[in-house]
Amino acid sequence: PSTPEVKKQRKAQKKSLARKLTQEQIQPGTPEPVEGREHVYVQTELYLEEISDRVIEVDGECQTDEFLDRPPTPLFIPAKTGKDVDTQIEEGELFDFDIEVKPILEVLIGKTVEQALLEVMEEEELAQLWSHQRAFAELRNAEFAELQRLEEQDRRIREEKERRRLEHLEKLRKQKETAEKVAARAFAQRYLADLIPSVFNNLHASGFFYDPIERDIETDFLPWLMSEVEETLQKKVLGRMMLDSLIRMVVEKRLEEFSRPPPSDQTGAPAEEPTATDAAPQESEADAADQPDAEQEETDQPVAEE
Amino acid sequence: MAQPRISAYLPPDIDPTKAPLAFGRRALPKLNEELQSPELLTQQRALMALCDLVHDPEKVYQAIALGFLDNLKTLLVHHDQIVRQKTTEVLSIMALHSIGRQGLIQSGVISALTGLLDDPVDICRKNTHQIIDMMAKLPEGAGGVLRANLIPPLVLKLKTELDEIQELILDTLSNCLRVEVSEALAAGAVTVLKEKLSHSSTVIRSKAAWVLLEISSHAEGKIAVCKEGVIPLLVSLLEDTQPEVQVNTTGALMFAAVTPQGRSSAMGAEAIPPLLKLVAEETSKARLNAIKTLTLLAELPEGRQTLLDHRDTFQRCLDDPSEAVQRAAQIAITVIEWKP
Repeated sequence: PSTPEVKKQRKAQKKSLARKLTQEQIQPGTPEPVEGREHVYVQTELYLEEISDRVIEVDGECQTDEFLDRPPTPLFIPAKTGKDVDTQIEEGELFDFDIEVKPILEVLIGKTVEQALLEVMEEEELAQLWSHQRAFAELRNAEFAELQRLEEQDRRIREEKERRRLEHLEKLRKQKETAEKVAARAFAQRYLADLIPSVFNNLHASGFFYDPIERDIETDFLPWLMSEVEETLQKKVLGRMMLDSLIRMVVEKRLEEFSRPPPSDQTGAPAEEPTATDAAPQESEADAADQPDAEQEETDQPVAEE
Repeated sequence: MAQPRISAYLPPDIDPTKAPLAFGRRALPKLNEELQSPELLTQQRALMALCDLVHDPEKVYQAIALGFLDNLKTLLVHHDQIVRQKTTEVLSIMALHSIGRQGLIQSGVISALTGLLDDPVDICRKNTHQIIDMMAKLPEGAGGVLRANLIPPLVLKLKTELDEIQELILDTLSNCLRVEVSEALAAGAVTVLKEKLSHSSTVIRSKAAWVLLEISSHAEGKIAVCKEGVIPLLVSLLEDTQPEVQVNTTGALMFAAVTPQGRSSAMGAEAIPPLLKLVAEETSKARLNAIKTLTLLAELPEGRQTLLDHRDTFQRCLDDPSEAVQRAAQIAITVIEWKP
């Protein structure tokens, strides 16, 4: 139930309730009995009536007699009028089945056979087409193979020709190269024929060829010799210088001594001293003499070596 | 209440699995709407009815004009297997008609078929392969198959599928590889085909040899065939008793022997005696291919020497009724007698 209907019902209920309440309120009732008294309902009619809820009832009945059912109405068959006539179709009178069925059968069988023949013909045609196609395919393949064979042959021949041509070119090239090589070789030989003497001359002139011993002597021996000579000379000079210094010393000392008055006791000492000094100078003289001799010997030796 | 059905018993010749067809031109549009209905039973019944209608080329034309192919494409990935099976059947019958093929190429059904290659139901896969096979017979169809990158999955399937489906795959591959061969070589087709050459079924052997023929008609195919050493196998197959196998094998050898390596490996595998036998047979279908192969082998010096003794075989071939055989025999004799 939809909400407006429910609302209507509720409203109706409320209205009825409200009506009932108002009616109850509006209905005037008898006032309440006084104290000690009681209200009683009394009939004020002429004749008293027994009031009760139950109504007095009396039962009565009636019954029909037993009768039979009404029989059904008989069928109304109107009286017969006119003459009776009947007819019957015997076998073979309407039509002859065998004759009539022939065209129908012919059509049926004819159509079926025609359909079958068509299908067979189609199949045959299809088979023919296939075989035709196969034959064509074979021919095509054979021709194709022939084409490929000829192509292959042609390719081989071309390749062969190309190879031979290249070989020939190679051969020509090699020949040319060899001829050039030979010519170059001859020319070079001639050109270089007098190369060697001139080269040697130049080298010789610029000092590249030397006698090794000579060079050796020049480079090693002579400097050494010179240095040795220098050394020897230096020694000589040193010796002379030493000698000079010795002589000077001696001379200075003698001078000193000779400038002093010679004491008697000092003769022994100076005699010793001069002997010592004589020994010393003698030694130094001897040394100096040895040295020059040695120097002489040394100078002799190198001179001899020279 | 009044109903269109008069009695509770259906008429005796109605198939309850098919949807009732509306009259005349209204039949196909009504089926189109039924195909899009959300109820499974309606879709199935519509598909069954469509299967029967599609045998008629006019109905195919009308169906494609009405845009059936888009609905069928969405139904290809349906979860119910009967729907998928019937859809693929409808598409395969459509692919038998030229209009159907054109329509299938234009609406790009081939790429939608890639998902169905792994279908668990056998019939769905067989129908899918039938569709792809029919499409590949057209040049545009073969191009479409190549563009949809179907070749690597097909080569993989070749290893694992049932025999009938393998035949279909081999047919498809032979038609597609005539155009382009690099993808198949990358997927290792030559190895798989080598195995198939020794299969027990004649049809599979002959078809595998045919595919090898198509592969070796391309230059990179020839290199791959020589490298994998298929030539000795092919030579041993020359002795097979079935004529189709012989024809295809000689064809494959013919193409493979064009390169020098192929020629030398064929000589090494002693291909000349069986080939001569094939040439000598008057009614052999493989005659043309065998003569061509011998011509190729005669370009090698050893081959020429051997074949100089068998010149009369080729002379007899000059009387063959087929003109191509005569020409080939003439060329063969010229090559054999050539002196450097």
